[in-house]
Amino acid sequence: MFRTIGKIIKYPRLTLKYPAKPMDSRFFIGKPEIDQSKCNNCGECISRCPSSAFKTDTGSGISIDLNRCLFCSLCEDVCKAGAICMTDKFELASRNIKSQTNPPFIVEDRNLPQTDFEQIGLKIKNKINRIFGRSLQIREVDAGSCNGCDYEITAVNNPINDIERFGIHFVASPRHADMLLVTGTASRNMELALIKTYNATPDPKLVVAVGACACSGGIFRDSYATRNGINTIVPVDVYIPGCPPRPQAILYGILKAIERL
Amino acid sequence: MNVNDLKIKMIELFSDSFMYSTELNGNELYIEADSGNIRDLCLQVNSNLGFPLVSMFANDERQLNGNFAVYYVFADRENSLALILKILINPENPIFPSVSDKLYAAAAYEREIHDMFGITPLNHPGLDRIVFHGNWPEGLYPLRKDYDRSYKPPFDKLETRFSKVEGEGIYEIPVGPVHAGIIEPGHFRFSVAGEPIINLEAQLSYVHKGIEKLSEDESIEKCFYISERISGDETFSNSLAFCQAVERAAGVKIPERAEFSRVVFAEIERLTSHLGDLGGICTDVAYGFAAYQFQMLRAWTYNLADQLCGMRFLRSVNKPGGLRKDFIEGKQKVIAEYTEKIKKELIDTVDIIKSKSMFVDRVENTGILKNEIAVDLNAVGPAGRASGIRHDVRKDFPYAAYGKLEFNVPEHGNGDVNCRMNVKIEECFEAISLIQQATEIMPEGKICESIGDIVPYRFALGMTESPRGENVHWIMTGKNNTVFRYKIRTPSFCNWPALCHAVKGNIVPDFPLINKSFNLSYAGNDL
Repeated sequence: MFRTIGKIIKYPRLTLKYPAKPMDSRFFIGKPEIDQSKCNNCGECISRCPSSAFKTDTGSGISIDLNRCLFCSLCEDVCKAGAICMTDKFELASRNIKSQTNPPFIVEDRNLPQTDFEQIGLKIKNKINRIFGRSLQIREVDAGSCNGCDYEITAVNNPINDIERFGIHFVASPRHADMLLVTGTASRNMELALIKTYNATPDPKLVVAVGACACSGGIFRDSYATRNGINTIVPVDVYIPGCPPRPQAILYGILKAIERL
Repeated sequence: MNVNDLKIKMIELFSDSFMYSTELNGNELYIEADSGNIRDLCLQVNSNLGFPLVSMFANDERQLNGNFAVYYVFADRENSLALILKILINPENPIFPSVSDKLYAAAAYEREIHDMFGITPLNHPGLDRIVFHGNWPEGLYPLRKDYDRSYKPPFDKLETRFSKVEGEGIYEIPVGPVHAGIIEPGHFRFSVAGEPIINLEAQLSYVHKGIEKLSEDESIEKCFYISERISGDETFSNSLAFCQAVERAAGVKIPERAEFSRVVFAEIERLTSHLGDLGGICTDVAYGFAAYQFQMLRAWTYNLADQLCGMRFLRSVNKPGGLRKDFIEGKQKVIAEYTEKIKKELIDTVDIIKSKSMFVDRVENTGILKNEIAVDLNAVGPAGRASGIRHDVRKDFPYAAYGKLEFNVPEHGNGDVNCRMNVKIEECFEAISLIQQATEIMPEGKICESIGDIVPYRFALGMTESPRGENVHWIMTGKNNTVFRYKIRTPSFCNWPALCHAVKGNIVPDFPLINKSFNLSYAGNDL
């Protein structure tokens, strides 16, 4: 009893002040960046990238699709011209609607209005801001991850990151949730469960894709048992790249989804 | 005993059932047998020689020799030897005799082979699907070489069978695949009478991604990144097993500094994983204070990993041939500080939780895994060691620098949650000591050796002790430094059936606690 109290006194507050205070990101491996002036278009990065994240655009040179990137640093190692550099930028969540070119092909069997998803997303967002104010209930769904992202989502709840200080709670049922936090590529065996979970979540709702697999399929693209990202099944509002994204990156993405940043 | 003695012994015992044998990579003996004799041979090896079946897999070798092949991997843990029996199977009539009725550990492997290759084990006691659910059409076998890996067949609606327990007052509780907590998906079917669980059947493979197929015909470099993503919190041990298999196939000896560095990272991973499990056990008995203590300790290990390599999950640290960079150089002080801090706090916390009788009451005699069942199912890792199977790959098949370092393998015999928890606590202290030893005596020098070109169709085993236990990977190389076949057997694959036995007779509310004490990976099982 006394020892327990002793420990509580010794460690009164573990929680980081992020996002009010920026993280000390010196050691982090974050977004890879290309110095176009150094790049000689040799194509080594394109051919060796394990998740095919590089693409060439005529005119603008080589670019990286962050939704596919594994942050593995291989491109930095193999670039002979030294044009690619891993930075410490980890706040990478984006709405990224442009990359969502193909709309979800499995739509729930309700009457959806004939507007495109961009507008629906906008409406939902406004509604959520109006209705939920500053509180949010989240249901996490693993749709075929390697469990890395799930451990990082657990870490969002630990005393270091303590997401509950924002009034954000993880709940046990999708029926209580406002937001689905989805990890994994949407494996064949989880497709139906993901659709059912989505349909069970009351409107208005937000969907956030966590990690390279959920954003694009990551390294597990084009397998007989996976889809290339969850946006082939459900509409996605915010994408959080990373393999896995660190807890603060997930926190940033969630706060971005409800526009509190 | 070395590999030659084993060969002589095998010839003495079973001279009539041999076709030919080869020794490879120092401690692997491959024996090709006739499929008519294989059942007898396997049972004899298991019962007379006492070697457990640690892996079993098929391979589509039609383009090499016109046949399918099935490999049975037995481990001689006393002498660090691996005995691999191989049979060839005619593709016109893909059948082989099942050994599951006597060698229980083979049951899941045989079902897997049936699902993925369409090779039928004859007289298997329960040949239900294991990898595929009712949505997969019959007659499609993705690991056959003629299956296009991106072909997604239409959804079928076949019935999934669960075992039925019947009687007065017995009812079923279906749970999952989407659970209440932040965990991976799996479906559990409890048959209960009142509160005690009579039977538990777990339907897994919800996160099956086709990893083994995705690895085929890919470069070794890309496969390495796939191996890192088999199971998130075992990233380093899985990639290490893959790297070791590649290095053995290539005949490359890695620099000594890399061996010691690998120990440091493997033990950081073990420490992280075990601290998380201890926190989880405390959460599941609603002991908030201790759970937060362990979460804090776990966060410190993540910080240490972050400072060493910038990756909390130790990704992109390994590399076939050594390590990607010399991550330890100049960081010895950081490692010493963190390990001391964690050790001190862990001693205090363990003291506090063990003095709480209410806590000990919940974990003692809960979820007992009997020794006989653990042996029969080849339960590995902390779960096996808590049930009296005192084996650890780090001792039995010393790899990296483990042979040069001092450490103990904890042993407990009761097989309950308390024993598994104690094994993990003791392993945490061993891990801290190993990290400190390895950083202290680490020699200077190179950190990576080039792998070069590997001869096509070479094969090798890579074994590591991941935080969850014995990890067995097998690769066969293809042309131009690619992978022809990559078989992954993670500890979770062995321990899931053991978990289903351990919960019997316990009450349903204790299931999360028992499950957490095993802490199995769904992704590592489903692949």
